[in-house]
Amino acid sequence: MVGVFGFAMLIQYFVPHPLGRVLYGRVLEWMQVIFAAGLVLGGATYAMSHLRTVSGRREGWIYSLLALAALTLMLAAGLIGGIDRGTLFLWLFNNLQAPLQQTVFSLLAFFVASAAYRGFRARNIDAALLLIVALVVMLGRIPIGEMTGPFLPDLARWLVDVPAVAAKRGILIGIGLGSVAVALRVMLGIERAWLGGRR
Amino acid sequence: MSDAGIWLAAIGTLAIFSFLYRDNPAYRAAEQILVGLSVGYLVVITVRTTLVPKVALPILDGDPWGIVAAVWVLLMWTRVSTRAGWLSRLPLAVIVGAGAGLSIPAMLKARVLSQLGAVIRPEIDVNAVVGAIGVLATLSYFYFTRPPTGAFRVAARTGTWFLMVFFGATFGYTIMSRLSLLIGRTEFLLGDWLGLL
Amino acid sequence: MNLAQIDRRWIFVIVFLAVALPLLFPIGLVGEVSPRTQTMHDLIEALPRGATVIISFDCEAASWPEIGPVAEALVEHTMQRGIRIIGTSFLSEGTALGFELLSRHADAADYVQGRDWVYLGFRPQYVAAILGLGESITQEYPRDYINQPSEDHTLLGAVRSYRDVALVISIADDTMPQYWIEYAGARYGVKIAAGLSAVMVTTFTPYLDSGQLQALIGGLKGAAEYERLLGREGAGSRGMDAQSSAHLAIIVLVIIGNVAYFRGRGRS
Repeated sequence: MVGVFGFAMLIQYFVPHPLGRVLYGRVLEWMQVIFAAGLVLGGATYAMSHLRTVSGRREGWIYSLLALAALTLMLAAGLIGGIDRGTLFLWLFNNLQAPLQQTVFSLLAFFVASAAYRGFRARNIDAALLLIVALVVMLGRIPIGEMTGPFLPDLARWLVDVPAVAAKRGILIGIGLGSVAVALRVMLGIERAWLGGRR
Repeated sequence: MSDAGIWLAAIGTLAIFSFLYRDNPAYRAAEQILVGLSVGYLVVITVRTTLVPKVALPILDGDPWGIVAAVWVLLMWTRVSTRAGWLSRLPLAVIVGAGAGLSIPAMLKARVLSQLGAVIRPEIDVNAVVGAIGVLATLSYFYFTRPPTGAFRVAARTGTWFLMVFFGATFGYTIMSRLSLLIGRTEFLLGDWLGLL
Repeated sequence: MNLAQIDRRWIFVIVFLAVALPLLFPIGLVGEVSPRTQTMHDLIEALPRGATVIISFDCEAASWPEIGPVAEALVEHTMQRGIRIIGTSFLSEGTALGFELLSRHADAADYVQGRDWVYLGFRPQYVAAILGLGESITQEYPRDYINQPSEDHTLLGAVRSYRDVALVISIADDTMPQYWIEYAGARYGVKIAAGLSAVMVTTFTPYLDSGQLQALIGGLKGAAEYERLLGREGAGSRGMDAQSSAHLAIIVLVIIGNVAYFRGRGRS
C-alpha cells in the first residue's frame, strides 16, 4: 500500500492525467484527515495516561489532576464556546497557555548563558573557530556592534552569507540525496521502521 | 489583556521562573497546566478547523467522499484496540507512502538541483570560490564510504572548518533568539503587570 | 574564588539584570537597516495595490515575543499598501496568534473580512495542505477559521490558487518555509518570503542566495529594522537596548570563562 500510494504520487508529478489529478486531490485530503485523527488520538492517549495516574493515586497524581482539569477546561471552552474572538478559548490561550509557553522557552536564555559560560571553551582550533564566529555574529547583529563601525557587521554578514551558506548548502544537498534514497527504500518496502515495533 | 488576564499570566510566568531557583511544586503545577491546556487547544483546533469541515460536514451534506474520510479516521483510531490495532497501519501507509512519493521530486528539484545550481555562478569572485570550496569540503566531510586519506582528508578537514563557522553563526543567532524571548517576558512583567515601563 | 565553579544562579541574575535594566532605563538603540530587511520592505512595496498575499503563521506561541514583532511589522506594511491577505497556519498555536493579529490590524486599517482579508486557519500535515492550496484554495479550505463557507468570501472568488497569489510570507520559528519553497515554490512557481526567528536565519540563507526565497527578515533585530522603515517604534525597537546589553553580558561571561579555563590549565 505504501508503494502504491508512493508511486502514484510520484507518477502524477510527471504525468498530469485528469484521473491522476482527482486521485491526487483526494490523497492530499486524506493525508490531512488521517494526520488530524492522529492528533486527536494523541490527545486521548494523553488524557488516558493521566486518568490512570489519578485513579490509581500514583505518585504526582495531584499534578495529573491539574493537567486533566486544564485539558477539560480547554476542550469545553473550545468545543462548546467556539474559537472566535472574545471566546473563553482564546482568553485562556492568550492569558495562560501562550504566556506559560513563552516563559518556559525564555528559561533557555538563562541556561544557554550558563552553558556558554561553563562550556564554551576555545579548547582547540575547531572550538576556537566556533567561539569566535559566534561572538562576531552576536556583536555584529546588535546596534552596539554596529556603532563600532562597519567592520563587525560586515564580517558577521560575510560569515553568515558565504562560509556558513556553503556548509549549510553541503548539508542540504547531502540530506536531499539521503532523503530521496530513504523515500525510495520506503516505497519499495525495504525500509519498514515506520511500522514500529521490532523489525 | 484584561486585568484578570494580566494577573493570571503574571502568576504563571513567576511560577515557571521559580524553576531557576530550583524545582518546586509551583513550577510543576504550572508545567502540567500548560501541557493540559496545549493538548486541549490542539484537539479543539484540529477538530474545529479540519475534522468538522473535511469529515463531518461532507457527511451531513451527503458527500460520499466524507464517508471515505471518516473510514480513514476510524481506522486510525483502531490503534487504541489491542485486537484491531493493526488496522491503523493502513492510514499510516497512506501518509508514509504518499509523503515519500511527493517528497522525491520536491527534494531533487528544490533541495539538490537548485542548491547545486547556486554553487555554479556565472560571475566568479572570491565569494563564489569560497562558497564552492565550502560545499565540496562539507560534502567530503559527510562522505563516509571511503577512509579519509590524502587530498580527501584535507578536503574533509576543511569541511569541518566550514561547519564550525556555520555552527558558530547558528549558535550566535540562537542566543539572540532565546534572549528575545526573555526580553518579551521581562517586558510583560515590568510593563504590563507592574506598570514600570 | 574559582570562577568556573560559580553557582549558576549568579549567572541567571546577571542575565536578568542585563535584560531588565535597559528596559527600565532605555537609551533607544535601533541600529542600521540591513540590506536584507530593506529587500523585504522593497518586495512588499513593489506589490501592486489589490494584489493578494498569503501570510502563514507557521509558529508556536513560545517564540511569539520574538516573531510577533516581525509579523506585526509585515502585516502592518502589507495593509498600508492595500494588499489583500489570506491567512493560514500550519502549526496549531500560530493559528490563534495569527487570527488575533490579523483581526486587530484589519480593524485598524478598515479591512473588510471576506473582501480584503480572510483567515483560513489551521491545517495539519503541512505538505498536503501546501500542495492542496496549489490546486484550489476553497477545496483545501471549504470553511474559514470561524466556520464560514469559503465560497462566500469575494476574495476567494477571485483568488483560486497560487496562480492568483503574488507572494507567500511564512512567519516561522522552524523549518516550515522550507516546505513552502519545496512544495509551493518549486511546483507551482509562487514566490516565497519568510519572517523568521533569529535561530532559523542561517538555515534559510542558502535559499535566499539561490533565489528560492525572495526575502527574509530575522528576529527582534529584523523587526526593529523594519519598524524603522515603517517610521514607528514597536516591540522590536524597544527590545534592542536589552538585546545589546544581554549580548555583551554573555560575551563577557564567555571571555571570563575562557580566561579562567586557560589560567587553570596553565597552572595544572
